[in-house]
Amino acid sequence: MTNQTKSQFIAVASITSELSAVMVVAKEISLAAANAKAIAFRAGDKAKGFQPITDFINELAKETIELVTNINIYALVLYRLTVNEFQKTTAYNKFELAAKMAESDGAVYANTMQGPVDHARLSMQDCQRQFKRDVSQLLGQLEAVMHHARAARVIAANSRIEASQAGEYLQSLQAVAESVDKAAHTIHDNVQRCRIALSIYRNS
Amino acid sequence: MKTTKIYEGTHQWIMFGRDEGKPSNIIDTNQYVVRTANRCLLLDPGGAELFAPMMAAVLHHAPVDQITDLFASHQDPDVISSLGLWDQALTNARLHAPAIWEGFLRHYSCESIEYVPIPDNGGTIKLESVELQIIPAHYLHSSGNFHVYDPQAKILMSGDVGAAFEAPDSPVFVDNFAVHVEKMRHWHQRMMPSNQAKRVWIERVRNLDIDILAPQHGRMFRGDDVKRFLDWFDALQVGIAV
Ligand SMILES: [Fe+2]
Ligand SMILES: [Fe+2]
Repeated sequence: MTNQTKSQFIAVASITSELSAVMVVAKEISLAAANAKAIAFRAGDKAKGFQPITDFINELAKETIELVTNINIYALVLYRLTVNEFQKTTAYNKFELAAKMAESDGAVYANTMQGPVDHARLSMQDCQRQFKRDVSQLLGQLEAVMHHARAARVIAANSRIEASQAGEYLQSLQAVAESVDKAAHTIHDNVQRCRIALSIYRNS
Repeated sequence: MKTTKIYEGTHQWIMFGRDEGKPSNIIDTNQYVVRTANRCLLLDPGGAELFAPMMAAVLHHAPVDQITDLFASHQDPDVISSLGLWDQALTNARLHAPAIWEGFLRHYSCESIEYVPIPDNGGTIKLESVELQIIPAHYLHSSGNFHVYDPQAKILMSGDVGAAFEAPDSPVFVDNFAVHVEKMRHWHQRMMPSNQAKRVWIERVRNLDIDILAPQHGRMFRGDDVKRFLDWFDALQVGIAV
């Protein structure tokens, strides 16, 4: 296995592991939103500005989970493509070797190997192209998750301001804002790592 | 790859083996090819490592598109782990292999090659006017195992039965049976699990007219050495590991 193939396997595998962490965190946000909703309900008028924010956080968490679920399916496709590409590349190299050996030994039918060699080269290149295309699409979806994470951080900042007007509920609402902020941060970092791992394979 | 023609008639049998380029840590194997005017059958085509030298060797005898049939005596990697590569190289080929191993052998990838499952009682492979018999050899050593007999050439390709392990440059035929026995004993005692299966197989094979017994490892037996081998194997206790 070449280093190029190895790092491609590792890149694809790392997406799945980073994303499973993102999933956990997105579920945490969803939980924090439910928590915040309960507090805001009890706080009544004092947390009036906070109520629509909790709905928003919840929505955001749901969308993130959905996106990540989709991306995971994509990552599996990428994994299969990588396996496929590895097999096609192995075949191409072995076919070329067989053709060379046959030719240097003066085998009567050496030239009949040209067909399989050409065919293997084309399917290998096909796989490479398809991988690049799919990576570009995946990067687009990862960008959407990043966007959500950035939005969550803005909401967290707003939540803090609203929490400051919630009297005795200040502390619990601030804790909600903080956990959303922290979670958004984690998502951002993980997704960023996925993007870096994949960006070298992007369609240029 | 060393090439030896072992039968020349209306069709040919060619033995390939003793590959000099083979990594020393993988087992040495013999591959056999049956060549008719327009078709070519590879018997136990070998491991993935062996694909390129084997293909190059076959190209001395047939163009790629005339390699139409493969046979796998059983599911072992030294027999057929090259399947995924043949599958990509051959556009018009069939693999004759034990029915019970189909789901296993497909792990090697078998998409363009047609899997022709051999039922437990064996069958035939027709190669133009040549008809080869598929002889059951279950539990010798694999639980789904076949040998190929050519009544015209009087050759029995016997898979792992008759196998021996020795120096890479050793001759392809047994020349001193008494000496050769010691190179086979442990393999047969340890690899072959069933005395009963062995007895049934020997009975079946004694009824065949055999000039050459051609195993997948080591040397071929010819003439009286075939009978010597059957007698020796008959008397041997196998399945010794339990
Ligand atoms: Fe075996
Ligand atoms: Fe074997």
